[in-house]
Amino acid sequence: MRRIAIQSLLHDRGKFLAALAGVAFAASLLLVQMGLYAGFLSMASGIIERTGGDLWVMPRGIEVIDNSEPMSGAARAAVSSHPCVRRVRAMVYTFVSMRKPRGTPDAVTVVGFEPGGDPIVPSTFHRGLPQDLHAPLRAAVDHLDLHKLQIEGDPIGASLEVAGQTVHIAATTEGMRSFTLVPFLFTEIQNARRLLHLADDRASYWVVDLKDRRCVDDVVRHVRRHADLDAVSTEAFIESTENHWVKGSGAGSALAFTAILGLVVGVVIVGQTLYAVTREHMRELATLKALGASDGEIVGFVAWQASLLAVLGGGIGLAQSLIIQASIAQAGLVVLFTAPVVALGLGAVCFMCFVASLWSVRAVLQLEAAEVFK
Amino acid sequence: MTAEALVRATDVTRSYGVGALAVPVLHGVSLEIRAGELSLLMGPSGSGKTTLLSILAGLLRPTTGAVELCGVPISSLPDSAAARVRRANLGFVFQTYNLFPALTALDNVAEVLTLQGHSLREARAMALRSLAHVGLADRTHHRPGELSGGQKQRVAIARALASDPRLVLGDEITAALDSATGMAVMEILRGLVGPRRGVLIVTHDHRMERFADRIIEMEDGLITADRPGGHA
Repeated sequence: MRRIAIQSLLHDRGKFLAALAGVAFAASLLLVQMGLYAGFLSMASGIIERTGGDLWVMPRGIEVIDNSEPMSGAARAAVSSHPCVRRVRAMVYTFVSMRKPRGTPDAVTVVGFEPGGDPIVPSTFHRGLPQDLHAPLRAAVDHLDLHKLQIEGDPIGASLEVAGQTVHIAATTEGMRSFTLVPFLFTEIQNARRLLHLADDRASYWVVDLKDRRCVDDVVRHVRRHADLDAVSTEAFIESTENHWVKGSGAGSALAFTAILGLVVGVVIVGQTLYAVTREHMRELATLKALGASDGEIVGFVAWQASLLAVLGGGIGLAQSLIIQASIAQAGLVVLFTAPVVALGLGAVCFMCFVASLWSVRAVLQLEAAEVFK
Repeated sequence: MTAEALVRATDVTRSYGVGALAVPVLHGVSLEIRAGELSLLMGPSGSGKTTLLSILAGLLRPTTGAVELCGVPISSLPDSAAARVRRANLGFVFQTYNLFPALTALDNVAEVLTLQGHSLREARAMALRSLAHVGLADRTHHRPGELSGGQKQRVAIARALASDPRLVLGDEITAALDSATGMAVMEILRGLVGPRRGVLIVTHDHRMERFADRIIEMEDGLITADRPGGHA
């Protein structure tokens, strides 16, 4: 039945190409929307993920990394007193005003990190090295934010006025941009404190590495004994930050709506084509039924066609999505194709073709073998 | 010695619709089609020929009565079992050929054989023999759109013949063909008749009578005559 089905589908090239275009369009729409969603999630929580640690300590009431407040060094001492704590890293993360080279006022997110840490924050450099940030008031920005920051020509050595002080760009990063579109300004912790006029023992977050991950709950309870402190596991902090920005902002719903729309369009186009091809072959299918083909074999006629469209259309859709990904990366939009995103997207394409085939399956199951004589 | 009965219908009735709206089409038909015969089922439109043919083939169930196909009570079998009996014993030829337009003549015949469990290689070898038997050895790679009406009908006969069925059923198989081609097709069908095989054809065309061993005439859902044909 496979050969009958596939050759019958390929025989009418116009219908086949229309259906293939429909599946490919739906697949690329789905994949890009899902990739954008994954990209938004990654942007929203990227700093937490790259900084790592087993848990994060913060002032009570903070649920999102962007809503930070400075804490005193006493908090570090409180955390460090737990025997399971291996290391506590200071992190500054806060919005500050800045002035661009042409004088335009704007804001940046200062991300202050402890040098020489593992993992290195920021983790991916486009130009320069982590040690280029050792000098006073040296910073790194993402190379895709240079235009927004009005930095033209060679960015290395360019200067920005941040919180009233001149900061020099010593390196550029890649793929480290904020969901809020406020550019990150990566700088070592002492520079960040200097920019923000913070005392040497203060930080927005204390990132805690444990000797044994099984202590997470115990250390969280230990921190929460302090009335003004809170602690959450890194995974929980990632989740609450992603929920706040992507789901809470409605961006997730908008992307999901577009993806569902793509699915519906795909179902209609593929369904229409499969049904038309099936209707055209009803007499031949009835003949096979009269000759003793089982319902399963007759359903195979539709199933093979739907499978072919899913595989070819999904493949073309994936290729198109990769092209779209590369094109819109220039505009700073992150489309993230992780293995689960691709698997889920292609699974949705298969589901779409399955749903689209149901009308035809119903038609062939209702087919009476006696129709051969009509 | 009496030839083996390939199909036996006993007091078959068939109505379409239910209750007061039921329209009776067959009124107690009893009939036996034997191996070694080419039988024609003739009668005016609406006489019940096609309904009877469908019931004899196990494609429709009689409202009452029983049908045995090659000794199997096909009218009382579930659909899947009836399909297996048809697969093993029947070949069909239709007025409109019912060939897949995308497949070559060879594959139109071979694919049916693969549905019967033959490998593609084996099916193609059998299909080739069958097409050669109907004189189409040089048209095996042509698609139906590239064949004449007579050639298409011969492909359909090759398909019906390929699995060596006990009974070949045909419905108005020459209606779409010119006279000479129709006669040629009937010659081929005549050649299919053998000690183990019979042919039953529904037709309006009285010119076909000379090929038949037996003529069964129907009118208003009843068999009105059962007489020898021109070949008897």
